[in-house]
Amino acid sequence: MKLKRVLVVAQKEAREIVRDRIYFALAFLLPVVLMLVFGYGMTQEVQNVPLAIVDLDRSAQSRDYAYRFIESRYFDFKGYVDSVRAAEPLLLDGDARAVIVLPEHFQERLGAGLPVDIQTLLDGTFTYRLRTVDGYIEAINQAVSGELQTRYLVEQAGLTVERAQLALQPLRVETRYLYNQELREIWSIAPGLVMFVLTLTSPLLMALSVVREKETGTIYNVYASTITRAEYLAGKLVPNVTVSFINGSVLVLMAVWYFGAPLKGSVLFFLGAMFVFVVWATSLGLLISVMVRTQMAATMITVILVMVFVMQFSGLMIPVSSMTGANYVIAHLVAPMHFNDIVTHTFLKGGGFVASWREFAALVVFMIGFLVFGYLLFHKRSAT
Amino acid sequence: MRAGENADRNPVWVWLRQVAVMTIKEFPQLVRDRPVFAYILFIFTLDIIIAAGQSVELNNAKVIINDADQSRLSRELVYRFRAPYFDVAETNLHPDTALEWLDRGAATLLVDIPPDFSEALSRGDEVALVQMQIDTSIANVGFLAASYGSRIVGGLSQEIAADRLSTAGSVPSINNQRRVRFNSDINESWFSSISELLAVITVACIFLPSVAMVREKERGTVEQLLVSPLSPFQVMFAKVFAMMIVMLIGTVVSLFVVMQPLFDVPVRGSIALFFALTGLYAFASAGIGMLAATFARNTGQLGMLLMLIVFPIILLSGLWVQLEAMPAWLRQIMDLTPLRYFIDIAYGILLRGVNLNIIVDSVLKMTAIGVVLFGLALWRFRRQFSS
Repeated sequence: MKLKRVLVVAQKEAREIVRDRIYFALAFLLPVVLMLVFGYGMTQEVQNVPLAIVDLDRSAQSRDYAYRFIESRYFDFKGYVDSVRAAEPLLLDGDARAVIVLPEHFQERLGAGLPVDIQTLLDGTFTYRLRTVDGYIEAINQAVSGELQTRYLVEQAGLTVERAQLALQPLRVETRYLYNQELREIWSIAPGLVMFVLTLTSPLLMALSVVREKETGTIYNVYASTITRAEYLAGKLVPNVTVSFINGSVLVLMAVWYFGAPLKGSVLFFLGAMFVFVVWATSLGLLISVMVRTQMAATMITVILVMVFVMQFSGLMIPVSSMTGANYVIAHLVAPMHFNDIVTHTFLKGGGFVASWREFAALVVFMIGFLVFGYLLFHKRSAT
Repeated sequence: MRAGENADRNPVWVWLRQVAVMTIKEFPQLVRDRPVFAYILFIFTLDIIIAAGQSVELNNAKVIINDADQSRLSRELVYRFRAPYFDVAETNLHPDTALEWLDRGAATLLVDIPPDFSEALSRGDEVALVQMQIDTSIANVGFLAASYGSRIVGGLSQEIAADRLSTAGSVPSINNQRRVRFNSDINESWFSSISELLAVITVACIFLPSVAMVREKERGTVEQLLVSPLSPFQVMFAKVFAMMIVMLIGTVVSLFVVMQPLFDVPVRGSIALFFALTGLYAFASAGIGMLAATFARNTGQLGMLLMLIVFPIILLSGLWVQLEAMPAWLRQIMDLTPLRYFIDIAYGILLRGVNLNIIVDSVLKMTAIGVVLFGLALWRFRRQFSS
């Protein structure tokens, strides 16, 4: 392998990228825009849940109870409904995701120290939101119920407020959030997005750059020349890895400066890991490009692969710890999950090579594996 | 003169036949490109299976419990941290070792039960505290662990309180009876498999016809088509129509070969309505791709332009992120995507069993967006090739 020939290919490739102004602009703009849009949009929080209330008691106390939900930022109150029957259509067309039904004699029974059953109807179509909404309702209900009981004990049994609270809640939990004390969602989203956006954007650049030559026929020049396979592929990789690495660095800066995520660990280690990851992502593009003949196939396959990697298996959208069976195994067989681990560790836990050497080693193995595969599958003669 | 010849010259008939010929031409192109064929097969079968098996629920999160009290009550509490949410990985680790486990990600939650726990409870003159330390570096897992952990402690607390208060007569309480509509067993695979189906249809409809279009542009075959007696509309329409048929076949396979037999996903509304609107949706999303295709000169440009559009659409139209939780400006942008309305339509028909009346609003908006996108694409396409 002669360095000079690699550089010639690299130079030609670089010129090709720069010359197509729109392509060049998009190559750098795409990651930044995606980072911005997802940084603002990708929240797993659930709030402003459309809520309707059926108040069959229409008493002061039932109105007070309803008001606790109406003023909560987690719910967006859509109005009172007369009956459960009238509430059903709201659930059907999604105008309400939750309906709370307060029964008759609500105030009367509570005043007499009796238990009351309220009913909540929840829309089960969006399962993960359902659980959160259920949790919100439960929490507010517990709080109101607790206050009511405290007041009852103070008035009926003559306890002090403190004694009453102690009697009602003899056991309490004290929670400390590690690594992200204020539970700021963006702290875990923004670093994850570096992995996310790089996985989405890096392979496509490379895949198209080889297949384009196949489709336009210029690849025959390469086949006919004295340049070796390794030299040609290395020459292709260099400019594309460079573009992606620059993009990655910009993304890190955005995560830290714009979205305010802390980078607690070793920056140098992180950049090293990111470099290995970018080479892996680029060689994924290479691997796709040697297996297909048309740009259409290259685009489609790249897009679906990165989509599956990043959304299903990277651990950013779906926690790896929740996966079972085959999916758990597959997640460990894709590089983005390991890089995502490194990202979380270095950004939030202050780790470096010592903490993440296993994941780093995995990335290196993936990178070498993909490069070797790409090399072996690329032939200087077309198969047919 | 034969009677058929008149019919042959009928302009409507000729127009339709031209479109039909153009549409049929697309199929061998799709099938002959084996990687593209494999891709279509994958997205409607294996990909759906992968997605359906995923869960965002807390599942066997590793817990370390340091029980310094070792009483009946503390052991009861330890016992409650169990499957499916939690899995006690280790008990009574040295505090430093425990924190190191959290650091390494070997455990998500560390629960400390102090030595005077049961004593404080039996004395009843102060609150018995349990401490939880949670790894929140992965925000969603941390949040769930915190909320389920406090529910466990809260539950035990209530039981102890109820036990004591029962001697003192009745105390008012409000009990929440929950009923879940449309998916009473909270089957996560219903949501995730439908969600993935919508996502792959969206990607395929936006990418396939537009890449095919730009390829003809790149190779110059589109000029051939345009000097032929075909109108630009016919050229475009045929591409999208072929795509729509492929998508409908794929959806049939997905729904009846994968989703129903494997995951019991119900079809509660009219299946005909569902397919009709899926076809309409295929058109509307293809409009996005077609419009983008008029801006791109080659596949490289188009690929990146579409990535810029497709990923935000899939992630932020309501499948992964709750629309109401997003900033208003972003929500308004998402209101312009056909997927945002098709989500209501698809889940509405399949899971809620609604009829056209209830979703008519979404159908109209989706159609309007599709028509505008196609109109714009056609206008730009015409302008580019008329000069």
